[in-house]
Amino acid sequence: MSKPTDLVQGTLDLLILKTIALGPLHGWAIAQRIRQVSKDMLQVNQGALYPALHRLEQQGWISAEWGESENNRRAKYYSLTKSGKKYLQSEQANWKRLSAAIGLVLKSA
Amino acid sequence: MRWLKVISNRFYNALRKNAVAQELDEELRFHVEKQISQNIAKGMSPGEARRAAMLDIGGVEQFKEDCREVRGGQRLESLFADLRYGFRTLRKSPGFTIVSVVTLALGIGANTAIFSMVNALLLHPYNFRNLDGLVRVWEDRGIQEGYDARYIAPADAEDLRDNNRVLETLTTYSFQSFSFGTKGDLQPVLGCRVSANFFDVLGAHPAAGHLFSISEEQPGSDQVAVVSHGFWQRRFGGDPQVLNKTFSLNGRVYNIVGIMPKDFDYPVPVELWVPLALTPAEKSERGQLSLSALARLKPGVSVSQARAALGSFSRRLEQEYPKTNAGRTVTLEQLRKELYMFTLPLFLLLQAAAGFVLLLACANLANLVFARMIGRQKEIALRAALGAGRGRLGQLFLAETLLFSLAAGFVAIAVSFASVHALRTSIPIEWTKWVPGWDGIQVDSTVLLFAILVAASVGALLGLGTMLHASQVELNKTLKETGTGTMTAAKRRVRSALVVAQVMLALVLLVCAGLTIEGFTRLANVYQGFEPASVLRVEITLPKKTYADTVKVTQFYEQLLGGAASLPGVQHVSLISNPPASNVDNETTFFTIEGQAAVKPSEMPSADLQIASSDFFEGLKIPLASGRVFSEADNADAARVAVISRGMAARYWPGTDAIGRRIRLGSADSTEPWLTVIGVVGDVRQNWWNPVTRPVIYTPFAQTPQRSMTFLLRAASNPSQYVSGVREAVRQMDREIALSEINTLDQEIADSIAIVRIMGILMGIFGVIALALSSIGVYGMLSESVAQRTHEIGIRLALGANPRDLMKLILGQALRLTAIGLGIALPVSFAIGRAMASLVFGVVSVDFVVLAGFSALLLAVAVAAGYLPARRAMDVDPMISLRYE
Repeated sequence: MSKPTDLVQGTLDLLILKTIALGPLHGWAIAQRIRQVSKDMLQVNQGALYPALHRLEQQGWISAEWGESENNRRAKYYSLTKSGKKYLQSEQANWKRLSAAIGLVLKSA
Repeated sequence: MRWLKVISNRFYNALRKNAVAQELDEELRFHVEKQISQNIAKGMSPGEARRAAMLDIGGVEQFKEDCREVRGGQRLESLFADLRYGFRTLRKSPGFTIVSVVTLALGIGANTAIFSMVNALLLHPYNFRNLDGLVRVWEDRGIQEGYDARYIAPADAEDLRDNNRVLETLTTYSFQSFSFGTKGDLQPVLGCRVSANFFDVLGAHPAAGHLFSISEEQPGSDQVAVVSHGFWQRRFGGDPQVLNKTFSLNGRVYNIVGIMPKDFDYPVPVELWVPLALTPAEKSERGQLSLSALARLKPGVSVSQARAALGSFSRRLEQEYPKTNAGRTVTLEQLRKELYMFTLPLFLLLQAAAGFVLLLACANLANLVFARMIGRQKEIALRAALGAGRGRLGQLFLAETLLFSLAAGFVAIAVSFASVHALRTSIPIEWTKWVPGWDGIQVDSTVLLFAILVAASVGALLGLGTMLHASQVELNKTLKETGTGTMTAAKRRVRSALVVAQVMLALVLLVCAGLTIEGFTRLANVYQGFEPASVLRVEITLPKKTYADTVKVTQFYEQLLGGAASLPGVQHVSLISNPPASNVDNETTFFTIEGQAAVKPSEMPSADLQIASSDFFEGLKIPLASGRVFSEADNADAARVAVISRGMAARYWPGTDAIGRRIRLGSADSTEPWLTVIGVVGDVRQNWWNPVTRPVIYTPFAQTPQRSMTFLLRAASNPSQYVSGVREAVRQMDREIALSEINTLDQEIADSIAIVRIMGILMGIFGVIALALSSIGVYGMLSESVAQRTHEIGIRLALGANPRDLMKLILGQALRLTAIGLGIALPVSFAIGRAMASLVFGVVSVDFVVLAGFSALLLAVAVAAGYLPARRAMDVDPMISLRYE
């Protein structure tokens, strides 16, 4: 099973951004969503998730807001900022180019 | 925008450290609880679920730290701590803080005040749209004409306006003095006759009413006027109903159609504008250059391109009208440049002087800061030993110096508001009415930005200096040492160098100030060539309507001269067309010397033309070099004569006698009569700024009368008492004549050199500040060194040293540093002084008395500043100082 640490540098950021693009989520939900969507292939470790969230917030790509969770507990919800949306688009395009390029190399070899 | 967010995040993290940590805790707790409830849902027991969750999350503290790290903010956090610490230490030593803030505020304040002048007068003299595209256009006749004599012939101006590819628009105007009001209560007013498009070219709009239309340029329908804001306020009390009211100018009724906004003042100091309505004959005039012209360059056309185009235009005119236009070239200059001519070197000088004051203040401050650092060496060493890096230590000192330079900046801004206000209000309006933009001197956003920039860069520079200084701390040595800390030889050298630099700067500033002040007094006292004391001057213009006949003009003035001469105490009365020190250039004319071969128009001799009555030379005590001056016999019926200036005699008849030679105004084929030179008189300086004495031809008033003359009256004492007498005499002859520019010649001279005087005063202030700062520097340095050497002095005294020798030791140190400073500064000030004299009009060149005087002054100040510390050294009690430690 691949671990997040094995992921290409910056891929975790991309996963987080993509996950919260649909709507605000708290940290735990982000980890769950990534796991579900990747069919348990990607398990995000909290030790990597939270520093990544805080870094993205610092950089202004995402913003955090305290809100009520499903069971009426206070939780910190992350959502994409305007510049974050643009950033996500460009990163997604980059990723596609990169994976396509890798695909080409693997096929030819 | 993202960057704003990033920065605000940083500040949030640094300022709300605890809140951030709490939020992180809460966020993680929530995560764990979610995990536990999920585990329970999967069927684990609560205990098991908890353990699994904790296991899953791993080392909590470790990744809390990771989170904190990515949030950053430690740097800022430490900066805040440093600022707080700096603030506390500064508050603990109020003396140091006040002295450094005040000296720095002085330096920054001086710069801000001067910069506010530069900003208003040089950078924004006029509020016109696209000032760079505005040019003054005139015809150059190839003779050195003054700045005031830049005119163009009306027909040439019209041709140029309609036939060129470089100018977008062109407008003409001409100054005129009017008598305002009704009979018996006439006031002189300086006005301007302008073409209808004048305001359009400048891009000016009226504050109320409207401007001139083309139809108002026709003679007969031109009785409309636009008035300045000041005129409206002064003469009509700001009456809002003033539009369409009428007033009388030179006996004609004018309708007020517009009021200009407060900041419109072109050309200064005009109070009203009327249409320039020329008759067809006047319009087609090419011989007389009578109008001033302003134009706007087409977009993208450079000044040199336009000048070249105007040159070829002039060649065409020359070919077409060789009689009138031969040798004349239409040329142009940026309006902004024209203003710079006299003011630029002056303001650069002032700004440089202000910069020197700031440097002095910085040197002083650096000395103070270094002195403090010596006391704090232990602290610095300890910090370094505990692992503070060079950058970290630097930040500490940077924070401190930034703090007080910002404090100084704020004080300086407050001071500049006051000083700019004082500058503007303390200088009489007579001095500044000719200075465009003077009213615009203020502390605006540009000036504020300048002040803040200066303060911040001074702070950064000082901080950097202290950082370098601090980074040389030798850890082991300092920590091992006892006592309050000592100076290494290298550091002592740095501080001595600072004192030397201060002495240097002070001398240079003092010398510059001295030269400026001496120059200004010399200009005022020896306004070359005549004696201005006890002379009253009055400008008189006879109206054209009633004095069309020259006989009537002569009669009027003769009657006036006769009447005034009979007043008790009056010694001389005379007339002159342009009085000396008027600051207005004379009319310049070509002339032909009898018997000399005809020359090309561009090589014809030229001279200034003056019209004088017989008593003029004696009235102003202008010496007669040879021949005779005019007498009563040189009247309209007698042979035509002229008196010439010594400069003219030397230029055109070098080595021979000019008396008896004949000259004729204009070219060889002109119809002017031949004038016989009957006398040679001394040269008279017309303008303070023009160091060249021009050749002058004087013709007798009786033979060449004109309607507008300046009346001069020399009295035994107090010439002002005759003002009412002269006024009465004029009123008795004609009630429709307004007198203007009534002033004593002394006052007129003082006003004319006002700008040099202002400069002298400011330079003097800077000089005094420089002296004060450098004495503080010497004093501070010596007190510090005495305080540090208390122990050594105690030992010396205990071993039987003579207190007098100690005094000599300390004073010797002061004198040695000052002498080194002077040694470097003397040649520098010599060079700067010479450069200044050649760049700035009115400033005298270096003389050795000034240099020696100020050097002696600085040495004396050094001794005085060293005296107190020296006394302290003498009073050291050996017992106490040895026990100390």
